[in-house]
Amino acid sequence: MSMSAELLLVFFLLCAAGVAASVVAPARSGPTALAVIGAAAAIALLATGAVLMGVEPGFRLELWSMLFGGTMALAADRLSAVLMLGAGLVFLPVSIFSATYLRKYAGHCDLRYFGVCYFVMFAAIVLVFIAGDALSFLAAWEVMSISSYLLVTYDLDREGSAYGGFVMLALGEAGTIAVTIAFILMVIASGSLQFGDWRAVSPHLTEGVAWAVFILSFAGFAVKAGLVPVNSWLPLAHPVAPTNVSALLSAVIVNLGIYGIIRVNLDLVPVHGAVPGLIVLVVGSVSALIGILYATIQSDMKRLLAHSTIENMGIVAAGIGATMIFLASNQPVIAAIALIAALYHLINHAVYKALLFVGTGAVEAGAGSRDLDLLGGLVRAMPWTSAFVLVGVLAISALPPLNGFVSEWLTLQTLLRSAVLSSTAIKIIFALCGVLIALTAGLAVTCFAKVYAMGFLGVSRSAGAADAAEVGWGVRSPLAFLAVFCVLLGILPTYVIPVIDRVAYPLTHASALPALVPPFFLPQAQQAENLPPAFLAEFHDLGAQTGEGMLPGRGLVVLHRGQASNPVVFAMSTSYMVVALAVLLGLVFLVFRLLTLGRRTVRGRAWDGGLRRLWPSLTYTATGFSNPVRVIFHAVLRPTTIEDSTEAVATHFRTAIRLDHADVPIIDRLVLRPPMSGLRWLAELVRRMHVGYVNAYAGYVLLTMLVVLVIGLAILR
Amino acid sequence: MAGWVIKGARTGIRSSAYPAGPETAIGVSPGMPGDTAVDSPSDAEGLASLCPTGAMTAHDVSVVVDRGRCVHCFRCAQDARMPAVAWDPGFEWATYTDAYQALHAAFSRSLHIRFVDAGACGACMSEARQVNNPYYNMHRLGFFITPTPRNADILLVAGPVSDAMRDPLRKTYAAMPPPKRVVAIGACAISGGVFGPSYASAAGVKDIIPVDVIVPGCPPPPLAILHGLLLVAGRKPPAPRSSLAARADGRPE
Repeated sequence: MSMSAELLLVFFLLCAAGVAASVVAPARSGPTALAVIGAAAAIALLATGAVLMGVEPGFRLELWSMLFGGTMALAADRLSAVLMLGAGLVFLPVSIFSATYLRKYAGHCDLRYFGVCYFVMFAAIVLVFIAGDALSFLAAWEVMSISSYLLVTYDLDREGSAYGGFVMLALGEAGTIAVTIAFILMVIASGSLQFGDWRAVSPHLTEGVAWAVFILSFAGFAVKAGLVPVNSWLPLAHPVAPTNVSALLSAVIVNLGIYGIIRVNLDLVPVHGAVPGLIVLVVGSVSALIGILYATIQSDMKRLLAHSTIENMGIVAAGIGATMIFLASNQPVIAAIALIAALYHLINHAVYKALLFVGTGAVEAGAGSRDLDLLGGLVRAMPWTSAFVLVGVLAISALPPLNGFVSEWLTLQTLLRSAVLSSTAIKIIFALCGVLIALTAGLAVTCFAKVYAMGFLGVSRSAGAADAAEVGWGVRSPLAFLAVFCVLLGILPTYVIPVIDRVAYPLTHASALPALVPPFFLPQAQQAENLPPAFLAEFHDLGAQTGEGMLPGRGLVVLHRGQASNPVVFAMSTSYMVVALAVLLGLVFLVFRLLTLGRRTVRGRAWDGGLRRLWPSLTYTATGFSNPVRVIFHAVLRPTTIEDSTEAVATHFRTAIRLDHADVPIIDRLVLRPPMSGLRWLAELVRRMHVGYVNAYAGYVLLTMLVVLVIGLAILR
Repeated sequence: MAGWVIKGARTGIRSSAYPAGPETAIGVSPGMPGDTAVDSPSDAEGLASLCPTGAMTAHDVSVVVDRGRCVHCFRCAQDARMPAVAWDPGFEWATYTDAYQALHAAFSRSLHIRFVDAGACGACMSEARQVNNPYYNMHRLGFFITPTPRNADILLVAGPVSDAMRDPLRKTYAAMPPPKRVVAIGACAISGGVFGPSYASAAGVKDIIPVDVIVPGCPPPPLAILHGLLLVAGRKPPAPRSSLAARADGRPE
């Protein structure tokens, strides 16, 4: 048994131990046991991923034979490994956070039930990554879906919990059915349940089957990935779920959808032609824009983050779509870059979204609310949490030098590389999708500037926020862990990209490494490979060698070496940026000190327009901050105003006026509502049959008999 | 297109010649009684007793006018039984208070003004608004209204300071960065006028914050307000004190 398989066995044993411990541990120590065993399991998972990445390319375990379709097998490769690493990175801090968080449920919810579901879900997620055949994949997928549903609806007292969980389960199961049909088609085509056999048969599929498999599997996995038009469950399920489960939903569960898309549509049954890729690209870009649009107008932090998950998954899907198109257009190197960008963004999103969800949990614990309209001024009361959340906010806004910037930069640059494609139509679609994603990036900055400015800066808008207390190290340490990874993944892309390149290589059959991370800081002799002298000379002129002695390792990411005439397409370095930012900030500080030398600083009250008293509600609120977006995108958002007035004497003497706004997301409005109302209409039509007279029912029986008789006679004749 | 440019060029400059030259238009100021020498102490007493706001005081054989109290009621000018008061038809009435200190010369052609209505009846605001119109056009002199006290050099206050406006006025003054000057316009802002002091208002701005320049008038005409601003800018001298007033209170002219 290989080392990675042994480590994975340790992981599963730990999960089993977790289930056992959850059942037997007394209620008071239950959360601690969950945290310790969960963290240990996550470390085992991280070790497995690291071994698979570094030492062994993969393993295959045959478990037992089935009545048909061969054996049930577990197979791990580097694609599984990168997702394991992502899941481990999230589960480790979230498990530690759970120890503190779950205490609030002690007494009114059964903690044993939570622990069992938690570990079953953890194990099922990893099983999805390493499933080697259709049956074990679907089984693991179902266990994951149901256990995550049970965790989301854990606190049934919360308003909307049952509905949110139901929508999540219903959409998820619809997705599973679509995936199952796609798998059945493949089983019929290949005569085997084994994923390995599908790879062999996939080039010989008929056009119709290939399309059906693509459409069904993409639609099915898109549900879990939260892409339009099947993303409705995210903003409903996240706010009602316990915060640690929300973090797992957004940072791990949605990744499973992306894993499914990559595994089935890029690895097992690679799509033919550019059109499927275009579909994925367009769906991804539209998801990104719609996600961030709805995120920007939210004031509930968890709902906001849920919409932002839709956005980020959209960006990842756009990267995957670009991969498919570049592969179809015979540009494997750029395809590899696009896939690296997508996977990099997947990991980055997992890290910063987990950070922001745990941060939301900290804010909720410290200030008693997660409504941005009721927060404010937390930076003074909760300095540690604020600092860590700031890192997450900067990362998710894709600002350099943090990790979100690197992957979004790569994605956008890849979309710009559509110049190498031959078809004009595809180029135009690429350009439009690039525009959508660029707009998304801009709105993301607005959205998360709002989160930080309205939640953490300014004056406190509620008593809870004014009396907020800093959380303990039980919550701060997971935040710190995730923040450190946000920074590391941001400033060391030249070390991360080679690792992800190993994942992309088997899928695109080309390495993007020489194009993406030129070995500039290696000795002259090693540089020579793949790098023409003109290219090196151009970089010398740009000053790429500056700081060679000071900066450890390579710092530069170059986007694809172009033709000889134009060797460097784009280059950026977050590690240089850190140095430059530090120098510039230091310079600003120095200049400021010089200018104010010998001057007196007068501290006064903020100018409030001369009001008697500055009520917190009079300051800029989150709703006010995002209102320009609401106005500009009115055509998409279509908010409706609900006026609820109490009239005392007559129309003109109202005693209470309550104005409320309600948004029905555009996807629900355009895609989900029409079939639902159609069904209702049909049901209403059928209901008319039930008139309540015995005579009428006797008439129906008579009619049915007549029809049966006529049909029977027709058949007999 | 751009017909207004041609119209403007054809019309030429119609702004007031003040302060570079004399203001020749009629009716720019209602005028104000000046310090008057009369024949006998009884005439002085009689003339002073006509004033409803107590702006006139009799000193031996002269009547001295406290401009900060005058409301241009014309009773002293139109009463046939009394000797004629010396009527001052001009408008350069603004003067310093004792607290005044000169601004740096750098401010002389660029002053930013924050206007506060501290309970005025509306007349002062109506006049203060006129300095912004094309005829008086204060921008040509480098005066600008700002919406926030943070950018302001001058606080222009009208009204006796009603109770409701006391805190806002203090806050506005506190929010201005030094160097800052306060200009009180109108009889109310200077002395409480016909309103103050009362149960609902103070007796002028000086009760709340230090005042540097006062612009008498009820309301002061726009040119008087301009004069007050030019006074702060150091571009015009204050209204002269008559020898009668100097003799009455024993201070030099």
